[in-house]
Amino acid sequence: MTATVHPGVGTRRLSEQPGEVLDRRAPLSFSWDGRSYQAYRGDTIVSGLLANGVSVFSRSFKYHRPRGVLSASFLDPGCTVQVGDEPNVRGAHRRLEPGMAVAPQNVWPSLRYDAKSANQLVGRFLGAGFYYKTFMKPERLWPAYEQVLKRFATGGRVSPETPHGFYDKRYAHPDVLVAGGGPAGMAAALAAAEAGAEVLLVEEEYDLGGHLRWGDGAERAVLAELVAAVAAAPGIEVLTNSVVTGRYDDNWIAVLQRRHPDRVGGGFGPAGSPVIERLVKARAGALVVAAGLVERPYVFEGNDRPGVMLSSAARRLVNLWAVKPGERAVVLSANAAGDAAAADLERVGVEVARVVDARSGGDVVRALGARNGTLSGVELGDGTKLDCDLLVTAVGWTAPTSLLNMAGDKPVYEPRAARFLPGGRLPGNVYVTGGIAGDGTLEELMAHARAIGETAARGGEAGSAPALRIDPHPALFKGATHGMVDYSEDVSSKDLVAAAAEGYDSIELMKRYTTVTMGPSQGKLETVNAVAILSEATGRSIAETGTTVWRPPYAPISLGALGGRILEPVRHSPMQPWHEAHGARPLVAGQWIRPDHYGDPDAEVATVRNKVGIIDVTPLGKLDLRGPDVPKLLNLLYVNKWSKLAVGSVRYGVMCAEDGVVLDDGVTGRLAEDRWVMSTTSSGAATVWEWAESWLQTEHPDWQVHVTPVTTAYASINIAGPASRELLGRLCGDVDLSGEAFGYMQVRAGTIAGVPGCWMWRIGFTGELSYEIHVPASYGLHVWETLLDSGADLGVGAFGIEAQRIMRLEKGHFIVAQDTDGLTKALGAGLDWLVKADKDDFAGKPELAWQAGEHYQRLVGLQPLDGDIVPPEASQIVAGETRIVGRITSSRRSPTLGRSICLGFVEPDLAAAGTIVTVLLPDRRRIPARVMEHHAHYDPEGVRLRG
Amino acid sequence: MMRIPCPYCGPRNASEFAYRGESKARPPVATATPEAWRAYLYDHDNPEGWVREGWYHRAGCRRFLRVERHTQTNEIRSVEPAARP
Amino acid sequence: MARANGKLNGFAGGKPARYSALGLVRHGVVHGEWPRVWRQHELKSSYDVVIVGAGVHGLATAYYLALNHGVRRIAVVDRGYVGGGNSGRNTAIVRSNYLTPEGVRFYDRSVDLYEHLSADLNFNVMFSQRGHLTLAHSDASLRTMAWRAEVNKLEGIDSSVIGPEEIRKIVPYLDTSEHTRYPVLGALYHPPGGTIRHDAVNWGYARGADARGVEIHQQTEVLGIETAGGKVTGVRTDRGHISTPVVVNCTAGHATLLSDMVGVRMPVITHPLQAAVTEPVKVFLDAVVVSGTLHVYVSQTDRGELVFGASTDPYASYSMRGSLEFTEELAGHVLELMPAISKMRLLRQWAGLCDMTPDFSPIMGVTPVEGFLVDVGWGTYGFKAGPVAGETMAELIATGRTPEMIAPFDLARFAEGRLVGEKGAASVGH
Repeated sequence: MTATVHPGVGTRRLSEQPGEVLDRRAPLSFSWDGRSYQAYRGDTIVSGLLANGVSVFSRSFKYHRPRGVLSASFLDPGCTVQVGDEPNVRGAHRRLEPGMAVAPQNVWPSLRYDAKSANQLVGRFLGAGFYYKTFMKPERLWPAYEQVLKRFATGGRVSPETPHGFYDKRYAHPDVLVAGGGPAGMAAALAAAEAGAEVLLVEEEYDLGGHLRWGDGAERAVLAELVAAVAAAPGIEVLTNSVVTGRYDDNWIAVLQRRHPDRVGGGFGPAGSPVIERLVKARAGALVVAAGLVERPYVFEGNDRPGVMLSSAARRLVNLWAVKPGERAVVLSANAAGDAAAADLERVGVEVARVVDARSGGDVVRALGARNGTLSGVELGDGTKLDCDLLVTAVGWTAPTSLLNMAGDKPVYEPRAARFLPGGRLPGNVYVTGGIAGDGTLEELMAHARAIGETAARGGEAGSAPALRIDPHPALFKGATHGMVDYSEDVSSKDLVAAAAEGYDSIELMKRYTTVTMGPSQGKLETVNAVAILSEATGRSIAETGTTVWRPPYAPISLGALGGRILEPVRHSPMQPWHEAHGARPLVAGQWIRPDHYGDPDAEVATVRNKVGIIDVTPLGKLDLRGPDVPKLLNLLYVNKWSKLAVGSVRYGVMCAEDGVVLDDGVTGRLAEDRWVMSTTSSGAATVWEWAESWLQTEHPDWQVHVTPVTTAYASINIAGPASRELLGRLCGDVDLSGEAFGYMQVRAGTIAGVPGCWMWRIGFTGELSYEIHVPASYGLHVWETLLDSGADLGVGAFGIEAQRIMRLEKGHFIVAQDTDGLTKALGAGLDWLVKADKDDFAGKPELAWQAGEHYQRLVGLQPLDGDIVPPEASQIVAGETRIVGRITSSRRSPTLGRSICLGFVEPDLAAAGTIVTVLLPDRRRIPARVMEHHAHYDPEGVRLRG
Repeated sequence: MMRIPCPYCGPRNASEFAYRGESKARPPVATATPEAWRAYLYDHDNPEGWVREGWYHRAGCRRFLRVERHTQTNEIRSVEPAARP
Repeated sequence: MARANGKLNGFAGGKPARYSALGLVRHGVVHGEWPRVWRQHELKSSYDVVIVGAGVHGLATAYYLALNHGVRRIAVVDRGYVGGGNSGRNTAIVRSNYLTPEGVRFYDRSVDLYEHLSADLNFNVMFSQRGHLTLAHSDASLRTMAWRAEVNKLEGIDSSVIGPEEIRKIVPYLDTSEHTRYPVLGALYHPPGGTIRHDAVNWGYARGADARGVEIHQQTEVLGIETAGGKVTGVRTDRGHISTPVVVNCTAGHATLLSDMVGVRMPVITHPLQAAVTEPVKVFLDAVVVSGTLHVYVSQTDRGELVFGASTDPYASYSMRGSLEFTEELAGHVLELMPAISKMRLLRQWAGLCDMTPDFSPIMGVTPVEGFLVDVGWGTYGFKAGPVAGETMAELIATGRTPEMIAPFDLARFAEGRLVGEKGAASVGH
C-alpha cells in the first residue's frame, strides 16, 4: 500500500519503535470533535489523538476540569468518548477504524471552552455530598433544583434511533480458564495444556503479553517465545480483546469478547455485520486468575492535570504506539517500573528534567497548571519547582482481586508491600498466579505460573506450588493533599477527609457518601487510595479499614451482549396460517398467540347462537393419564369425586392448592378402563402437570399412574351451535352422534375427516350444543379447513376468544385468574356444590372445610339496571362514599340479550338475588346493578347445551 | 450458576430445575388443627445453613429430588429422589 | 473542631449544625468541618428499647419514638453500618398505588412522610416524584392495572390507566409499537411515584434520631435475646450485654434468624433480590418504568445511571454473590422494552436479601413473646414503607396499642388464615 500521508509527522509521532503495534503501511483517517485526523491501524483513539498533539479528551464530572491520559488503558478515566451512537467508549483501549467519528463527552458547549468549568471556582462549596445539605426548603423549588442537577449527569448520549445490533452468546467447557494473558497467564496456560487440559486463555488487550509488550528487548524476546508456544500448543484457545467479567457459583464464568472479528453469516441480520460483543459462558473445571497488577495513581495536589500520567501509561505510549508523551518530563519513581519509564523517555528524546526517587524520600507535592489547565510544572517535596509538561508517577500497584472476591476470598493488606494481596480463602477450583499473587523475577513468576497451571489441570491443591515472595515497596499515601482520588467522580482526598470527619468513616459509608470508586473504572484505580486516606483520617490501619466489596462485573459489559439475540418463544397452533390469512387479530396469551377475533365478535356470537361456529382451542392443556390408580389421583387433585366416572363420560372439576385457593379447572374424561384425559386451562397446563407429578412422586410413589402432557400433540377445536351435530356428523362416520348415544358430558374416540385417533367431548364453554374435538396436531389445519368447507351451507364460521368470552359470560362460567384471584378459595367462587367435604382427602381440603364458616366475598352474576351501560372490568362496587364491597370481574355487552352482563364479587350480605348494589365507574358515575339468581344470564337451565 | 448433581442426568445447571422449597411433612388431613395446617402451609425453618429442600428437574428427567444445600454457599452435599423409601 | 479519629464523639459546639445553602458557603469559605452526622457511644448496660437493624425501618422507628413519644433510652444496633443492608441496596422506588385499600392507605402515608422528609430531617433525601409507570402487556395485566387504579382513586391517590400514545410521550425511548413480543397495551400511571436517595433517607433518619438522643451502635452484632417467663429481658451482643424489656426486630434478610433467638416461628423465606446499574449517560428517561410481565423495572438517576431491578432469585438463599443469569435476563428484557440502549454497559450488580411472606405483605406488631416486636417480612417493598412503618411501630412500642393501620399485618394472621390480598400487586411490584 502506498501512503501519501504521514500521519502525525511533525507532532508527537516517534520513529518506528521495536515493540510498536502500529501498521505504518495502513494509515487511516478519523474525526475528533468534528475535525479530521490521521493515524495508523493499531492506534487507539487516544494514541491517534496524542500523536496529533491532542492531549485533552474530556471534562470531569463535577468541576469540568480538563482531563488527559492517566493510564493509557481500558481503565483510563479521562479518555471516555462517544463513537457514533455508542456512548462511553474507552478511548485509550478502542482501536481506531477508518472513518470513525469520535466526539468528546461531558463538554458544554465545547471541549476547549467549557462553561461549566466555572464550577471549579465554586468547587469549595460543592464538596462531596453537598446536595444532601441544601435544597430542602422551600420544598416546592426542589423539582427545579433537581432538573439542574440532572444536567450535570455525565457520560455520552444514547439515541432512540440506535438499532439493537448484533450480539451473540456462546457456551464453553474448558478444563482450565486462565484470566489474563500476560507472562504468568501464558505460562499457566501452557503448563495446563501440557498436562492435557483444554484451556481457554483470556486477555483483555488486543494482544497477549501483558507488560512484556512495552518492556525491553529481553522481555520482548521472552514474549515472542511465549506467544509462539501458545500458538503451537494444542488445546489452548486464545480470546483477546476479551475479559473475564465474573466468576459465579461452581465456576460459572462470564467472558466478554469485544468487537469479535467474526462476521454475521446468513440467517439473521445483514451478512457482514460485525458481532458487536459476544458473551461466552464457560463452565470451567478450574479458574486461574493471572490478572496482573494495576498501577496506582499518586494522590497530590493537581494530580489530575493533563500531562500527569502513570509510568505504565508513558511506557505504553512510547513503546506500543510510538507516541511521545511530552517534551520535558519529571519522573517520580518508587520502583523499577518508574526507572524504566525514565529510561524509555530519555531513549526517545524526551528531556527528563529530574527523576525524583521516592525510595529515598523524594516527593512531588503539587502539579502546576498552565492557563488551559494542563501541566506546566511541578513542585517537589523540598520546595524545588521544575518546569515540565509531563509528570510520570510510579508509586505502586493495586491487585485487581475482583474475581477472587467473587469466589469468596477477602483480600488482605500487606503493609510491607503497600498493597492488598489475595487472602487465601479460595475454593478448590480457583487458583491465582502472577503479579496479583506476589513478587519475583520474570522467571520466578513464570515458574509459579507453570506450577499453578499444571496443578489446576489436574485439580490439585493450590498450596502445592511454592508461594511467591512479597517485595517491600514504600507506602505512598497522603491524605490531606487536595489531590484527586476518583477521577471519574471528581472526588478529592479533601472530600474523603471531610466525609470521615462527618462520620461517614467506614469505607462503605464513605463510598456511598462521596461516590468514590463508584464510577466507570469500578474502583480499580481508586479503592486503595481511598482506603488509605480513610485510614489516615480515622487513625485506623489500612488492614482494619478494609476495602469495599468488589462486585461483578469485573469490566463493564454491554446490555446487548448480556441480552444476546432476543429469543422470546412464541407458540402457535397448527391452524395459525389460516388465522393469519383470515385477518385474525392476535391476542398475546402467555406464550401463545391466539385469534382474538376475525373482525366482528358480535357476529361471531350470532353465528354460534344461531348456526354453528368453530374455535381453535389448541392451547387448552391436555394430560394423558394412564394406569389403575388414576381415580385416586383425580380424587386428590380435584375437590369433587371421581371414583365412579364411567368409561365414555367426562366431568368438570376444580383444583385447589393446599391453602384452598383455586388453582385450575377443566374437564377430565375416561376414554377406557385405564385411560383418561385431563384438560386444564391454557395457562395452567404446565402447573397442573407439575402439580400432579409432585403428588405422584413425593406423596404417593406407590400409585400406578403415568402422566403424559399432550397439549401440543393434539390440535383442539370446539364446534358450537345448534348445527354442530350436523356439521360433525358430516365428517365423522364411526361415532353415533345422536343425543341418545352420545349425551352431554360424554367422550368418544373416532375418525374425523379421515383422521383416525381423534377424541370428541360433548362439552362447551359457550352454552350451545357443542363438541370439542382433539385431532393429531399435524392434521389440525386439515380438519379445521374441512369443517369450514363442509359446513358452508350451514353457515359455519370461525370465532375467536372474544366471542367465546362473551358467550361464557352469558353462561356465567368463571375464568380462573380473571374471576378469581390469588386469595379466592373454592367456596368464594360459588363452587359449594362441587366441593365434596366427605372425601377422605384432597388438596386444600382442610382450608375449604374451615372456609365454610368464614366471612368471604361471593362471586355473583350482576346486571346493571340500565342495560346500555357496560361497567368496565375492575369497576368497584361501593357502599357509601368510598367503602369497597365488591368489584366487577367480567363484563360485556351481550349481543344475544342486548344488554350488559357481569360477573363480580360482593360481600356476603349483598349476595342474595335481587340485591341492588352500586357500581362506581372509572368516570366516577355511580350506577345501580342487580345481583342475579344465577351466574348464567342466558339459558341458566342449560336446555340448549343438553339438546 | 450453581450446578445440581441430578442422580438421573448428572450435574446440570440450576436453571434446568424448579425450586420447590423446604421439604415438609404434610399433616394428616383428618386430624390437622388450623394451627398445624397453616404452619405446614406458611412457616419455614429458613436457616442460614444446611436445608433439605425439593427441586424438580423440569427441563431434564422431570423427577422430583430432595437436595441438601447450604443456603449461604450453595454447596450441595446430597441429592436423592424425593419419594420416601 | 472534632477530629474524626474515633475518640471524640460530641457535636462541635454541643448541638447539631443545621444544613443549608448558606452553611455550605460558610463552610466553603472558612474550610471548616461539619459536625458528625451521628455520634459514637459506649454501649450502656440497659436501654428502654433496643432496635435491631440500622436500616430505614429501625432508624425511623427510633426517630419517631423519640420525636413523637419522647422515649429517650433507645439503642439501634447493627452488625454492619448504617443503611448497609437492604436499605442501601434497594432501587429506592416510592409509590402508593397498591391493590388493597389497606395497602394504599398505608403506603400513601409513607409517601406523605417522604414528601416532607427533607425539610423535617433537614437533610435532602432527593425525593424525585417523576412519575411511575407499570406497563401492561396483556389484557389480564391491563385488568389488574384497572383494578388498582379504581381502588387507588377511591383512596384519593393519583393513579390511572393510560394508553400507548400517552406512554410514548412520557417515555419516548420505549418501544410501543405493536409488533413486539410483548406489546405495550397500556400502563398504570402514578404521577406522585418516583425515586429517592436511599442512603440520604437512612443517614437523615440516623442524624435526626441521634439529635434526639437515640444511640446508634454500628458494628454491634446481636448474639442472643434473653427471656424470662415469656418476656424479653435482655440482649447479648458482641460488645456486651444489654438489659431491656423491648427488642424490635427491624432486620431484613435476617427476620428468621433473629426471631429464632426467641423461638418465634416465621412464615418467611429469604430470597436474594438483585439489582444492577449501568454507566452514566445523559439523562433520557424521566419516569420509573416497571414491567411485571418482563420482570424488570428501570429508572435513571440524576447522575445518569440506569438502575435496574427484577424479581427475586428463584430459590431461597442467604448468598449475596449475585448471578450472571440475572443480568442476562434483565438485559434481554430491558432491550425488549428499549432496544435503543443495547450499547449501554452494565457497571455493577449487587444483591440484597428479601424476607418473603406468603401474602407479599409485611409482618408487624407483637409476637407470642412479650416485649419482642417485629417489623419484618418486607419482601421487595420495604424501603417505600420505611417512614410509615417507623411511625406506626413507634406508636405501638410507646402506647402498647397496635395502630389500626398495621393491624392487618399481624403475625397471627397466618395461623388464623387472614392473609392480606396484595399478592397480585406486589410481585415485581416496584
